[in-house]
Formats: sequence, structure tokens, C-alpha cells
Amino acid sequence: MVATTSPVPQKIDLEVKSNARWLVMPIFLTVVGIALWAWVSAQELDSIEQRTLNAGELTARVIEHLQLAAVSTLIVIALAVPLGILATRRAARFVAPVVLMLGNLGQAIPSLGLITLVVLAAGVGFKSVIFGLVAYSALPILRNTMIGLQQVDQTLVKSARGMGMSPMQTLLRIELPLAVPVVLAGIRTALILNIGTATLATFFGVQALGYVIFQGIQLDRTPVLIVGAVLASGLALLVDYLAGVVEHVLTPRGL
Amino acid sequence: MTATDQIAGPGASQAAATTAEPMIRLEELTKSYRGQKKPAVDRVTMDMPRGEIIVLVGPSGCGKTTTMELINRLIEPTSGRIHLDGEDVTTADPDTLRRRIGYVIQQIGLFPHFTVGENIATVPKLLGWDKARIGNRVDELLDLVGLDPAVFAKRYPKELSGGQRQRIGVARALAADPPVMLMDEPFGAIDPITRERLQNEFLRLQQQVKKTIVFVTHDIDEAIKLGDRIAILGEQSRIAQYDTPANILSNPASTYVEDFIGSGASLKRLNLSLVGDVALDTGAATARIDGTAAEARDTLESSGRSALLLLDGQGRPQRWVDARDLDRADGDLRRAGEPVSALVDTGATLSYALNEMLTSNAGVALVVDGSGAFQGLLDFETVMVTTRSIQRDSSDFYRAAKAVTD
Amino acid sequence: MDFYKHLNDNAEYLFSDAVDHVMVVAISIGIALVLGCALGVLAHRSPRVRPMILAVTSTMLTIPSLALFAIFIPLLGLGTPPAVTALVLYALLPIVRNTVVGLGTVDQNVLRAARGMGMGPWRRFARIELPLAWPVVLTGVRVSTQVVVGIAAIAALVNGPGLGNEIFRGLRSLGSPFALNFVLGGTLAIVVVALLFDTVFILLRRLTTARGIR
Repeated sequence: MVATTSPVPQKIDLEVKSNARWLVMPIFLTVVGIALWAWVSAQELDSIEQRTLNAGELTARVIEHLQLAAVSTLIVIALAVPLGILATRRAARFVAPVVLMLGNLGQAIPSLGLITLVVLAAGVGFKSVIFGLVAYSALPILRNTMIGLQQVDQTLVKSARGMGMSPMQTLLRIELPLAVPVVLAGIRTALILNIGTATLATFFGVQALGYVIFQGIQLDRTPVLIVGAVLASGLALLVDYLAGVVEHVLTPRGL
Repeated sequence: MTATDQIAGPGASQAAATTAEPMIRLEELTKSYRGQKKPAVDRVTMDMPRGEIIVLVGPSGCGKTTTMELINRLIEPTSGRIHLDGEDVTTADPDTLRRRIGYVIQQIGLFPHFTVGENIATVPKLLGWDKARIGNRVDELLDLVGLDPAVFAKRYPKELSGGQRQRIGVARALAADPPVMLMDEPFGAIDPITRERLQNEFLRLQQQVKKTIVFVTHDIDEAIKLGDRIAILGEQSRIAQYDTPANILSNPASTYVEDFIGSGASLKRLNLSLVGDVALDTGAATARIDGTAAEARDTLESSGRSALLLLDGQGRPQRWVDARDLDRADGDLRRAGEPVSALVDTGATLSYALNEMLTSNAGVALVVDGSGAFQGLLDFETVMVTTRSIQRDSSDFYRAAKAVTD
Repeated sequence: MDFYKHLNDNAEYLFSDAVDHVMVVAISIGIALVLGCALGVLAHRSPRVRPMILAVTSTMLTIPSLALFAIFIPLLGLGTPPAVTALVLYALLPIVRNTVVGLGTVDQNVLRAARGMGMGPWRRFARIELPLAWPVVLTGVRVSTQVVVGIAAIAALVNGPGLGNEIFRGLRSLGSPFALNFVLGGTLAIVVVALLFDTVFILLRRLTTARGIR
């Protein structure tokens, strides 16, 4: 849930503009990482805690988590971006409002409920969880692709067609590049949703970082819980940060 | 070869053949939309000669933009034919067709994610030109529209002023040297002062490139100023009159046209004539400002006029003096009399000259050539004679009456 | 028909869970509204701290919900306190952001006129700025509520109250024939709660927006 609020008039600066902003998050994450490591090192871990809190185990959990997020996000991009493009083509224009309305209704469905329903239908395991994540995170990309394309100034499209660009050339050279910032924001939102929802995967047979957190809760082991929660949060913040960098780099200059 | 030579090359030869085949011929061109009883454009037939600016003018909603967009088939005609340069393009591939037709719209539509250079290069790229040729062409066009390529080629549209964007829009439309340009109210969204300047620039540019330009506007004054030919359109794009501005102003074909031109038809005609085209009063008494008062007085007395114009060494008007001023001059003419006002160039319109006369309170304009040298005097009466329409009107009687009493 | 029977049989539990859900959301949003408006006004008044406040509150939305719920357990124990704390943090960004935007769009000339008429700073804020910014702020609250209604389901995983417990009940009995009924019941009930809240906001908007800017 990143891009949720109403449009922002330009005169209000809501973001740090200086280049120093790119340094804040890496420094913060490094500090948190070192602090976590120092704190855990200072604890005397019992055997139960040691079973979860060792480098090998934790690395495996992080990798599982990233796999869930990456695979689901890639699938969502592959599905929702073309769908969004199709839904905004002239021939399918009447589809767009319907999709957006259904999408807004779907927003009210809680992630936990949706993913549990998907798993109930498809069984536990990696594939089902991916399926659930895809179902939950498709909307932001689909919606942002459609909105991104719809908000492209139609006089530019007219100009491009008037200069002899084919519909495909117009889409690839004008419409999509101009929609890129909005589409990327949607992808970033979906990615963060997927990282967050992937913590629930532990209830559906894929451990990931949710497993560490839930072990901490169930076994009442604070170090395990803290490590799990901080790792999951740190991972989400890191991925969000990297997505922000990619967004910045891919946004066409001149916009 | 200079930039302008290259651009003018094919256009110039076309202009020579104005009498030959028209560049654009529309035959019974019709556009009906589903669900609408009347067609939006109803059987428009017109020939558009090579190298001319043809202005489609009419009230909003009359279908003038639709008519224009039928030419590059952004809107597909329901029936009728379109001929471009003798070739029937009614069913030609629209994308290929459009690459042969320059296109400028009111919002200009510069691509914000392209640099100025990339914007201009759009059509050449579509046509598969090589990089070096595109680069040269971009520089050439930026020069042509008066923007320094070194400064502007790498800029983005958001870094330009409205007037600069408009120029880039025109440069982009000219990029592949299309014989035909379509312009849909290109100056519509620009402040009046900049618009005036851009219109003048546009006319100067057209002198060089000699394109066949279809120009849409709702502003009759703009139409008169820019058009070689004006088509006044009524509902459903029906042609109420298609003629030169002068003929439309002096012989409106219908009351509709008369109403559309509005009340100031005679005044509007002043926009059509240049100061250099009318007979000037060349009999003014003049003397050198570095000469003596005595010489000047002799000239003044022998001329039979009551005032004398002092010119400098290059023949440029400096001061007005009368006999009393000369008496008081004490030999130095540089401070005698009044400084001149209402100087107008032979290239200015009569409308401009009239305005100068009125604002300077002189009642007479001093006409000078490009270097500022005195050519003659232009007075109210001459302007009025020129505004007179071809029909006899009251001014004839006035002149006749005046001649008798003289 | 099975599902219908399930709803009938469990109506009592479902209803009490729904009431808990609404309460948790309402309390969280109430706290977030006060906190968010205060932060929003602060951010509006001081362009220097504005990006910081917004960066921190938007960071909150990035953190996985399970992690945020869990992280407060060592401090606050299980149950409602960590749930409400986490939900408040999730609710902040839309409210803070819309408060800043809403206050930022208030016409400066109106404020100048108010000052010219002798209104003091507090009166200007309460009588002019806040009422004019209110529709935008309220939209932020509405967005926050939508977000929080869904996330509150996860509170059940830290023994929190609400409809998440219905889903969790089904989740624990995965494979049993009742699982689907519990999950579906809980999920649909959450959707209904979300729609109810939305309706309330539409009404609130009509009732609390000054007539001149409606």
C-alpha cells in the first residue's frame, strides 16, 4: 500500500529533493543490521533459539521470501501490464471502467482471507502461495497501467498518429514511455504487497521469514521474534528502496 | 547549400507551376458519424494550389478541423476522394501518407520525454534516415526557426517558452520536407503579442519554404493576414466562399460571409495592402539638416508647401519645420521645429500606418525604406481611397465634390 | 446451502468478532486521526520536517504487517495493544499526507483576509484552515480505514480481536470440511465491514463538509 491517496498538487513538496535522500535508507538499514547482530550476539541463546537463529537457516528463509516475492511479482507484471494495455485500447475501452470498479471492490478483500481461500482451492505449497500473491497484487499494476496510459495527453497520441506513427509505434514510443512512472509505481506497490503478504506463507507450507516470526510468537522466544520481524521489515525496506532507485532511473527525462 | 536552399528547392519549382495541377484536391468529401442524422462534413470539393496558404475559417463546430483531418486521414472519410499531388490517396496506407504531410496542432503536442532534437527527428526516424542526415536536418531546421541548435537541440519541451514550443512544432512538421502542411489553430493558445510575432515569422518562413499549407482558424483576422486563399465554411463544412482575402472582403458572396467578416471589412482590407503598394505623396519639400536655414527657406518657398522636412546625410527624416521655425533657427537647424513621428516602413501594412498616424497625432505618416531613407508621405486620404471597395461609394462623391470646389 | 447453515450456526461468533473488528478499527483510526492531523499540521507549518514526517510514515506502510504486529509483542504483550499500535502506524500516512495537501491547498488570500479581519492564529486554524482542508483530510481517513480494515484481519495471528479469528480458525483446520466456511465467512464479513465504513464516510463527508465547498 504505497500509492493510495488523492492526487497531489505540485506546489507542495512532499519529498526530499536533494540527492542525499538516496543515502538515508542504506545507512539506516546498515545501522539496524549491525544493532540487531550485536544484540543477538549478546544474548545467550537456548537450543530452540539456536535452531532458528543461525546463518544457514536465516539465509534459507530470506531466500525463500525473496523467491516468493520475485516470482509472484514477475508473474503479475507479465499478466497485468499486457492486460492493462489491452483494456485501454480503443476496441476495449468499455472494459476499463468495469475493471477499475471490480478492482476497487476487490481492494476490500483482506490479504489473509484471499490467500487462504486460494490455498483452500489449490492446496498448500509454493505454487499455491504464488497464486495467492498474484491474485492479491494484480490490482495495483493493472490499475496503474490503465491509469498511466489513460492519463497520457491525447493530443500527443493525435500528434504521433498525425505524423505517421502506426498504433503500435505510438504505443511503444509515446504512450508506454509516458505511462512508465505510473506503471512503475504500481509495480513497486505490488512488490511491497508481495513481500508483506509472503510473511503469511508460513501458514501455507512455505516457511520464508514469516516462519521465524511465528516461531518466535508461538514458542515465546523474543530474540527469534525480533530477528524475524526485523529481517522481514528490513528486507521490505531494502526492496522498496531498490525499487525506488529503479523507478528513478527508468523514468524518462523531460517528465 | 544552405538550409533554406534545401528546403526551398522542391517547393520553389512547385510554386512556379501554380497554374498546373493543385497540390490537394478534395472531391465530394463527406464524413458522417453513426447516430448523427447530418454528416459532419458534407460533400466538400475544393482545389488547393501549390505553395499557397489555404485557410479554413468558420465558427466553432462547423467541421473545419474535421475537414483538415480528413486530408491526412486521421479521420477516415465516409465517401469522396482525396488527391495529393495528382495521386489518389483515399485508400493509401494512412501512416505512409501522414509521413508526407506535416502536422501542427494547437496544443503543439511536443513529446515531453523527447528532447527538442528527438522531437524534430520523429518523422525522419520513421522514414529510416541515417543518423548523420537526421542530425544535419535537425540543426538546419532549428536555424530556420531561429533557435540556436547548440542551445536547444538537447533541451526538453518543459524547458521552453510557449513561443519556442510553437516554433519547434513547426520545425518538427517540416522535418521530412513534406510538400503539404496541415496546421490546426497553431497560434490559438499563445498570447496576442507573441502570436503577432509568430504569425509574421510564419509568413517569412513560408516565403522560404513555399509549402502548400492548410491552416485552420476561427479568427477571420488571422485568416486575412495569413491566407493566400480563404475558405469560409458554414455548417457541415459547406463552403460559403473560397477566394482570395481581397475578393472576399470586397465581394462577400452572401450575408453569411458578410456577417462572418464582421463590421470592419474595410478596416480589415487595410491589413491586405502594404504601404509600398499605394501611391505616396512624393512632392514633399525636403532639405538637409546640416544645410543652412536660408537654403531651406528657399526650398520651402519654391515648393508652395507650408512645412519642410529636414533629412540627415543618409536621407532619413529628422525634423519638421515651417517658415517661422526657419526664421528663428539662427543657422542651426538641428533644434528647429518638431522631431518627426509616425515613421513607417514600405513593408508595413496600411493598418499599421493608420495606427501610427492616429497615435502620433500627425495625420500623416513618413514612409521610409529598409535603410530608413525617406520615400514619401502617406496621408489619411490615400489610405481611405485604398480602403474603398470596388463599388462606387460615398467617397467618390466626396472626392468629386472636393475637386469642383478646388 | 452448507455455507448458509454455517453462517446461521455461527452467527453469534461472527457477529461478536465483527463488532470487535469494527471496534479495533475505529479505535485505531481515532488515534491515528488525532496523531495524523497533529503531524500533518506540523509538516504543513514546517517545510523542513515535512519530508521527514512523510518518509517515516510511508516507511510504516512498507513494513510487512505480521512483522509490525510481532515487533510490539515484547513490549505490549499479545492481544489488542500490539494490534492497535500497529494499525495506528499503518493508518498514519494517508491521513498525514492528506492533511498536508489539504492545508496546502487552502487559498492564501483567504487566510490573509482572515488575518486582516483580526482573527488570531488559533481561530484562523479552527475556523478557516481546518474546515477548508477537511474534505481532503477526510478522504485520507477513508483510505486509511480501507487499509486498516484488511490488515486488522492479521491481528488474529497475534491473538488480537476481530474477524481474522474466523479466518484463522479455518486456517488451523485446513483440510477439514469446515475450513472453507470459516475462511469465507470471515473474509466476506470483512468485506461487509469495509463497505459499511465506506458508507459511513460518504455520510460523514456530506455532514461535516461546509456547504459552500461541497
